[in-house]
This record gives sequence, C-alpha cells and structure tokens, in this order.
Amino acid sequence: MTVGGTGPGPMVVTALVLVVLATLLIGARGIVIRSTSDFLVASRRLSPTVNAAAVSGEYLSAASFLGVAGLVVKDGIGALWYPVGFTAGYVLMLALVAAPMRRTGALTVPDFAQARLGSPGLRRLCAIAVIVIAAMYLVPQFKAAGLLLNLVGGTPYWVGVVVAGAAVSITLALGGMRAATYVQAFQFVLKMVLFTVPAIWLLVHVGAETRSSALTPVEFTTFSRATPVEFRVDTRLTITEPTAVAVDGAAPTTLAPGAYTAVTGSTWTFAAGADVPEVAGAAAPGGEGWSRPLLDPSGAGFPLLATLSVLVATVLGTMGLPHIVVRFHTSADGWGARRTAAITVAMLSAFYLFPAVYGLLGAVLLPELFLSGGTDTVVVALPARVDTGWAGELLTAMLTAGAFAAFLATSLGLLLALSGAVSHDLMSTGSVRRLRFTTLAAAVVVVALALPAAHLDISVLVTSAFAVAASTFCPLLVLGLWWSGLTARGAAVGMVVGLLASAGVIVVGLVIAAPPGIASVLLGQPALWSVPLAFATMVLVSLRGTAPAWASAAMLRLHLDERPERSNRSS
Amino acid sequence: MTRQRRVAVSSPQTRVALARRRPGYATHPPHLAPADLERARRAYREQLRWALVAVVLLGGLVVGIPLVLVAFPGLDDLRVAGIPASWLAVGVLPYPLLIALSRWQLRKAERIEQEP
Repeated sequence: MTVGGTGPGPMVVTALVLVVLATLLIGARGIVIRSTSDFLVASRRLSPTVNAAAVSGEYLSAASFLGVAGLVVKDGIGALWYPVGFTAGYVLMLALVAAPMRRTGALTVPDFAQARLGSPGLRRLCAIAVIVIAAMYLVPQFKAAGLLLNLVGGTPYWVGVVVAGAAVSITLALGGMRAATYVQAFQFVLKMVLFTVPAIWLLVHVGAETRSSALTPVEFTTFSRATPVEFRVDTRLTITEPTAVAVDGAAPTTLAPGAYTAVTGSTWTFAAGADVPEVAGAAAPGGEGWSRPLLDPSGAGFPLLATLSVLVATVLGTMGLPHIVVRFHTSADGWGARRTAAITVAMLSAFYLFPAVYGLLGAVLLPELFLSGGTDTVVVALPARVDTGWAGELLTAMLTAGAFAAFLATSLGLLLALSGAVSHDLMSTGSVRRLRFTTLAAAVVVVALALPAAHLDISVLVTSAFAVAASTFCPLLVLGLWWSGLTARGAAVGMVVGLLASAGVIVVGLVIAAPPGIASVLLGQPALWSVPLAFATMVLVSLRGTAPAWASAAMLRLHLDERPERSNRSS
Repeated sequence: MTRQRRVAVSSPQTRVALARRRPGYATHPPHLAPADLERARRAYREQLRWALVAVVLLGGLVVGIPLVLVAFPGLDDLRVAGIPASWLAVGVLPYPLLIALSRWQLRKAERIEQEP
C-alpha cells in the first residue's frame, strides 16, 4: 500500500530529507545559542505567545498528527474526545499548576518534589515515574515513524522504526538535544500549516458527493472498487460470502466462507463489489456504534465509562508530562506561565478542529484500512486517494514532513527528559557526556520496545502515558501546590499506589488479554479509579503524619506574585 | 570547539541540575517576611477559591457533554448545516468553551494579583 502504488515519490523523499536536515541545523544552531548566551535568560524576554507556541509545538506529537484521525476511522466519532482532553488539560494547568509551579523554580517534577517536600527519596521515585511516562509516550512516537516510513517508502515496519531511531540518535549526537524556545514555536506554525492546508484542500477537492457521504456514514460492508490491502501483521479474517481475492498479485481466486490468516507483508486485492471480511477485535467504519459520539473501543458496551476514563486521563495527565513541565520554566514568572497556559488552550483548539476532517474523509475513502490495522496511516494516505497527480504527491509530502517533524520534536524532548531523570535524579552524578550516553541507550531501548508494538494504536498508547501521569504527578502537583499538610511519606506512598494502579494494570492488561466487558475498560483505561485512589492515599497517609514546620511557608510562597516585576505591566 | 564550550551544549534542564548542589532546598527552609506571609495567605485563599470554581466548571463541561449525549441520543439525528449536532458537540463545541473558560480564569487570577 505504498502511496500511488509505485514506491516513494521524489517529493516525499525530498520533504523527509528536508525535515531531518532542518532538525540537524536546529541542533547546530542550538549550540551557538547556548554557548553565547544563557538560554534561560534569553528565553525570559520572550512573550507568553511565543512561549505558548513553543509549548504547543512540543506537545503536538505524532499521536495528534496521525493518531487521532486514525482512531476516528477505527473507533468512530467518539475518538474526537481524545483531543478535547488533550486541550482541556491546559485549562487545568492554568487554574492549578502553571503560576505556582513556575514560582518553585523547579524544572522537572523530581525537582519539584525535592523543592517542596525536601525528600531525595521522593525525588528518585518521581524519576522512576518520569521514565515510565516518557517510555510509554515514546513507544507510540516510534511506532508512528516506523509506520510512516513503511507507508511512503514501502520498507518493512521494523526498518522504519530503526531508521527513525537512527535519525533521533544522530540528531542527539550532533548536539540537537533540545531546540530553543523560538524553534519550537516555529515547529508549531509549521505543523499547523502542514496539517490545515492539506485538510482544506482535501475538503474542497473530494467533491460534494464524498462530503455528504462523510456526514451520513453507512457501514462499510462491500468494496466499492478493487481494493488492495497490505497486512502489516498476521491478521485473522472471517469471510462470510464467497469472495474474489488476489493475493500478492496472483490471479484472483474465489475464497469459500471460513476463517483465513493474512500473513505479514502480504497484499490481498479484493474485487469491486466483494463483501468486506470480518476481523477479530475490529469493527467496520460507518456502522451504528461508529457514528455515536462516545468512545466504545472493541465494543465493550460501556461507552460513557470509557469516554470519561479517557477524559480523566488526558485532562489530569497533561500537567505531569515531563517534556511539557520544563517548557513552562521559560516563562519569566508565574504571570507569564499562566498566560502561556491560556494561550496554549487557544492554539491547540485551532489545531484540533482538523483531525476530524481526515478521520471523516478517511472513513469514506479508505475504510479498508481497518482490515490491516493500518488506520494510523489515514492522514498520509488520503491525498493520493483523492488525487493521483502532482498535487496529491505534494500534499502527501507535506503531511509526511509534518508527521515526521511532530515525531522528531516530541521524541527529542521526551528522550532528554527520560535520560535527565536517569542520569541526574537516579544516579545523581550526571555529566553532559553521561547524559548523552544515557540518551542513546534510552533510544535503543525505546526502539526495541516499539518493534513489537506494530498493532497497537498510537493514540491509545499515548493515553496510557497520560493515565500514568494523571495517577502519579497530578495528585503530587495539585496537593503539593495547594495543601501544606502533604508529607513526603504521603506523597511517596500515593505515587507508588498510583504507579501500580495505572502502569502496572495497563501492562498486565496488555500481557494477559483483557477480559471482555467492563473489566477491559477498567484495565485498559484505569484513570477513572486510579487517580482518585492515588489522591486518597496521599491525603490519608499525610494526615497520619505531620508536615514539617516550614511546609506552610513553602506552600504559601508559591502563591505570592512577583510584585516588583509586574508593576509596569498592562493586562 | 574548545573544551569550555562543550559544557554549554546541554539543555537548561541539564545545566541547572548539574549546577545545583544536591541537598539543595531541604537545608534552606523557605522563609517569608511577616507582611509577605499575610499577603501570600490572602492571595492563596482567593486563588484557591477561583481555581476551584474553574475546576468545577471544567469538570461540568467535560463530564456534562458526554452525559447529555447519552441522555439525548436524538442529537445524532438533529442536523446543523448538514452535520449531526452530536458530532459538533464533540468536535467543535468544546473548544470555544475551553477558550472562554481559560480566558475567564486567567482574568480572575490576574485581578487577584492586582489587588493592593
């Protein structure tokens, strides 16, 4: 299923090379900036708008660029709740975290734990949570990159993942460890343009008929045209009617009803008018449940519960993402951090209006992606489906470049946060050299983890990372910033409980196939119960001890605005 | 590139972590002057109150819309400009509401800090 059917076009290759080169140049540029002036001081002159663009640029990952639209094709309109949660998280950040967190002077949550509660042990515990969250967030980014290269280059999935890992590692080795604020801000503008322009072009060019069928979905039961489907993983198909299929370009044969296995790498071309086979664990787009605006993955039958669980995870988890927390430090003060959060809400709102366009058009034009579990590719595959000429290829190139840029920006930030936690918070004798080594080692581990993840949905995995952040860092930050009674012991016990209840349960759910029904919702998306559990544990354990005498001043200090600096500001 | 320059090739996060001596904060318990303490206490109370209002409104928004969609399945058939109303309630409606809520909370929080 390469775009246009003939391997990568020159424009797509050019776009990818440009993105990687730009990232390398950004890295080189970063060296100059950091060696001539202090990054922190320089960035403090920037306005909250630029800072907000930088936060958005770092935040909009491959999950936002590719994953949400893919989930719309796969699970239906309810998948649009993911970006609502991704955005609403910043409202919570604004109300509860941004200003007081900035005033702690802490760059990371482990820093915060030590600054507010004075416990090195808690710092190490937080570092472990950072590692878990970053790893869970990184694996889907690498999966997306592997998929992307598989789609545009026709290379096997594992080659794509390894190439993406190499691209990240080389960028890191050449010094592009962390892009400066204004570069991330530019990244946001770039992603915004590369995402919205093709969306509008597609909307205009698909024609009135496709537009209206996108709004009146019909279940995908027969192939409307001869449709090649490339299987990336072994897939069990159930054929209910005699179906004409050509496997790997062989002469078409008619398969009798029964169960078949499509092996990895094979391409099945279904004839026009053939019935769509059934796939275990996936529902065809366009059906009754698909059009309902609630999340009901794998038809567990508890749409409200599943929707709320995803919302709790994403809204409460945003504040605990390790690569985002550090971005707020580049605001000058609490005032700036708060404004940054508010403007970020508006910027993300603009971006997240568009995944629905790709998802809805994809469900009409490329519904067969659900057969091969390839719905995450829908954004990049759409232009070629609409236009086989140069315009389609140009748009494919734009979207590929945007998605790869999203992957690179988020991965670099996360990898650095992860290796920072390992080399500074856990081992405590960090040097730049060791940090660099740790970063490369972390990249290797993440690539190894991403290899068997080909069949997992990007957005679902990312949401698991949010669930862990919501169950560990959200209670720690909210209670630490607003309640002087929080003790280090209470925070530690609550973090361990939250970590086990979220990450532990998700891993168990992945290893043993989750039982059907309500258990699959509660195990797959545990935030709905794991977050209250972590909060309750922290409060109850803290109440049994006593906070140190300075705790009250330590907490109140965070709500005191920086008066002298603010006097000449207009609002 | 000289040896000293190599040190600069690190993120702010890295350098702050490297520069800080480890026991750090614990040995210097924070201290507030009595006047500041009183001001901080007042700011804390006010900020907490409006933050809680914002959190309740946000909760009402993200929990309320799914509840309405469950309670009124008829919204799937109601169409606004050809688009099912229930789709708009997920894909479009939350964003202006989130922006309005964040603007409101920002204004409240900044007004508290402007008080004498």
